[in-house]
Amino acid sequence: MQNAKDTFYEVLRERLAALNPDRTIVLRDLMRPGVLVEENELATDVATPDCFRLQWTKSAADVKGDLPMVTMQCEIAYETAGTAVNAGMDRGRMLAAMDGELLAILNEAPQKTTKMNYAGTALGKAAVVMKTNVWWGGLVFGQAEMKNDRVMRTATVEVMSYQEAGEQ
Amino acid sequence: MANAEGAERIAETALRTLGGWKAMLRLSAPAASGSAAEELGLATPQFQDVSLGPVAFRKAESTAKLLVSASVVKKIVGAGSGFDSADVLFETAVGVVLDGVVYEITDSVASGANSGEYCWCLSLKAPAR
Repeated sequence: MQNAKDTFYEVLRERLAALNPDRTIVLRDLMRPGVLVEENELATDVATPDCFRLQWTKSAADVKGDLPMVTMQCEIAYETAGTAVNAGMDRGRMLAAMDGELLAILNEAPQKTTKMNYAGTALGKAAVVMKTNVWWGGLVFGQAEMKNDRVMRTATVEVMSYQEAGEQ
Repeated sequence: MANAEGAERIAETALRTLGGWKAMLRLSAPAASGSAAEELGLATPQFQDVSLGPVAFRKAESTAKLLVSASVVKKIVGAGSGFDSADVLFETAVGVVLDGVVYEITDSVASGANSGEYCWCLSLKAPAR
């Protein structure tokens, strides 16, 4: 399951960087595309604005076939206070822009990619190509909500993959 | 300005004599550029502990407060640490280390007098047991 989660994040990261190179965040002094996986970052109560924050929630396995098919739910939360130059009055427009970006990167064909194993990158090695794919369904937008001076939304997408033999 | 410095010195003296706790602010080192491993949770960043000097610590049930001298905070922010302000420093810090326990910083409020800050009050959350 972890390889599917990592692969899905990397796809989103690459597609976002290509679609809107200006959508960036600075985390621990490093500028990177504006997408992160919350469980991979330091625990904090501060929600980073103007970026897509991935959370993995439910998961289920279908074991009828030769390989178990795992379906994982990914919640993508994002929020914005708008721009200071417009006194935040453009926060609705900024949220709509983020809606559009998320829809574009997830609807971009193909809605699948080859699963990769990134475990070796911790030792400076390259990611390893696996035998099966990771694919995902349609994006479901949640209701926009106000959070102090920010407007936020959580979108949900189901990510599927086959669990290969020996895979963690 | 002189009055602001006076308030700062009084706060520091009070913390030194009445507080007496020693606390460290735990900061994470900058992320490794171009490393997918850190973004994927495969590698952890380096950490460094910075002394917060004499502090006063109060803990009651689930809430904990830490009073820190503003002069110490100014030194950390102004020492080329890369933090724009004390707010950013506390928001991005991993936590505060007290007696070997890492507390998460949930809020930070500055107390000021005569257009200068003399003390910071940090709200802390103890690790879940």
